[in-house]
Amino acid sequence: MPGPVQLYCWHFLSYPHLAPDFDETQYSGWVTVPNSLWDREKSRGLYQQYIDQLAYADEIGFDGMVLNEHHQTIYGLGPSPNLVAAALTQKTKNGKIIILGNLLPLHMNPLRVAEEYAMLDNMSDGRLIAGFAPGSGPETFNYNVASAPSREQFWEAVDLIRRAWTESGPFNYEGKHYPLRYVNPWPQPTQRPHPPIWIPGARSKDTLVQIAKHGYCYFLSSRSHGKETAKSVQQFAKVLSDHGDSYRPNRMGILMSCYVGETDRQAQEESKEGVWYFLKNCLKGHQRREGRQLTYGPGVPYIPSDEFRDFLKFSDPTVPLLGDTQDWDDLQRSQSIIVGSPDTVYQRFMDILEHAQVGHLLIQFHLGNMQDELSRKSMRLFATEVAPRLREASAKLFARNFPHDAAAGRLETAK
Amino acid sequence: MTGRILDIRGRKVSILEEGHGKPLIYLHGFADVHGVSGELLPFHRQLAANRRLIAPAHPGVNGSDELRDGWSINDITFHYLEVLDALGIERFDVIGHCAGGWIAAELAVRHPERIGKLALIGACGLFVSGQPTADIFMHAQPERGVDYATLRRMLFSSPDSAPALRWFPDGRGDLDEETRRYQMLRFGSFVGFKPPYFYDRALVDRLGRARMPALVIWGEQDGFTPIAHGEAFAAGLPNARPLQIIAGAGHAAHIESGESVAKLCQSFFG
Repeated sequence: MPGPVQLYCWHFLSYPHLAPDFDETQYSGWVTVPNSLWDREKSRGLYQQYIDQLAYADEIGFDGMVLNEHHQTIYGLGPSPNLVAAALTQKTKNGKIIILGNLLPLHMNPLRVAEEYAMLDNMSDGRLIAGFAPGSGPETFNYNVASAPSREQFWEAVDLIRRAWTESGPFNYEGKHYPLRYVNPWPQPTQRPHPPIWIPGARSKDTLVQIAKHGYCYFLSSRSHGKETAKSVQQFAKVLSDHGDSYRPNRMGILMSCYVGETDRQAQEESKEGVWYFLKNCLKGHQRREGRQLTYGPGVPYIPSDEFRDFLKFSDPTVPLLGDTQDWDDLQRSQSIIVGSPDTVYQRFMDILEHAQVGHLLIQFHLGNMQDELSRKSMRLFATEVAPRLREASAKLFARNFPHDAAAGRLETAK
Repeated sequence: MTGRILDIRGRKVSILEEGHGKPLIYLHGFADVHGVSGELLPFHRQLAANRRLIAPAHPGVNGSDELRDGWSINDITFHYLEVLDALGIERFDVIGHCAGGWIAAELAVRHPERIGKLALIGACGLFVSGQPTADIFMHAQPERGVDYATLRRMLFSSPDSAPALRWFPDGRGDLDEETRRYQMLRFGSFVGFKPPYFYDRALVDRLGRARMPALVIWGEQDGFTPIAHGEAFAAGLPNARPLQIIAGAGHAAHIESGESVAKLCQSFFG
């Protein structure tokens, strides 16, 4: 039988000390946002607070903690998520440590990632989930990563790392981008054959094919979770079956944001400052039309032109993005940031699971400049009043819909 | 005008040709034939009045295949040597705009014996300290999802000039034209990003090898390649005429002031 949905706590490590007039006075939260705005005094202890929040998630029973990599942005202060992950290996005991992921084309040599991830897997006693991402638009500008060849570089880097973990070294790697005469990393990861590999994707069929071929987990990097998510699942299921495999919930994860309060009204009251800070400031330059979003488009041409042509055919440049959300009702319709009482949040997450059948929910609790106590309270209410019901109901749902799941043993349930 | 596809060991190269006479190779830029337009523009047709104008599309652009291996400027220069071989052309004149001007200059320093005359319009390719080319990639990301005014200003004298609005309209444009622009940006990303600002640091010192007569033309309002690059080309090419500045024109001077730029070129090439 398939296990229940896996529930992880995602932390973006956002910069929380922006002035209230940030949106009016600053063009973007990404790449060019002036770092003279960094407040050294207010920022003392910030990383500790965030690390402690993640450790708290582990303590109260989340299935894992999620980190990702961003550069030169207020959105996420994790240019090196591996450092925070290293701290978590020492502060936590149970949950998975998911890095989603190191941005491979930013590394001169992906072997370094193979080495650091292997260290983390050892330091955590086999709790690492190894995410790899190619980076998107902002990295083009931040690190001078040429967009056009970056996808090819990325897949070669993933291949090199996987082989470095699974083939006996030393061996000669005849890469186009990363030729290496002696591939022989010490240490090797604890998990066999290697830590689970997760790859984010959204629009590219090629990405799905690679994921299907190698048995990786597909993380849908999209912020809209209505019919679109179900469509993505169907698309992935089709690619899997083309490769002699079948879709199971544990092959796919999505990103959600959430705030749980005692009542719907209280949840809204308590979360609104952080939610609007996140939407208007953190997403400015990324998931917002205002200004210049740098994540996707003609200036960062990392997908082939026929794929871009398809994207043009089926998209409308005037459709609002998540950060363009105008009011609270609008936000609730987006199905991306779910705010409410435990009952409401449970119901809305179940709706999504029923539609989408995804086995991994990666949930952001800390939004924008949210206070530590509120973030922790929301996490606690989720862990105690939402998570148990979600686990029970999702296990039934998945058992009903995936009765022949041969991979039951592979899907690790919570402790 | 005729269009055809050359086949170089299974790699397609799309070529537009017009006119008769001695071959004049045209290497295009962004706001240009292939870069935005599927067909030759009035400027190119005027050049073809007394010459055989041959305008190949860069790899990945407007019907040409992307390269399989190697995208450095060196690889692109080799690609064009193969294109010339396939065309059976030994000696030629060459004119290039923007990134096409860069490729023309690279051909000229490698094979000065094959090139009769060289003309550059708003060419990039040089490293000029303190004068980087503008960030075309950032400005190709529209403001509010639809507004290309800053990109138009980079490539033309004004964001509201008629050719600027014709080729880079706000909102979702014609699908073929949008795709062509994307392909040209992708070519630019391949060739102009390592290093990232459309230069070959060694080129400026090599210009002395290109002893053919040279004409360097710059739009007075060039918002992509600073005019200091034009001065550096004119100073470095041993037989360059004094830098020709087109008053009131932007980076795509040959589109905005097509007739006067074409006349300059025609009297130069003969």
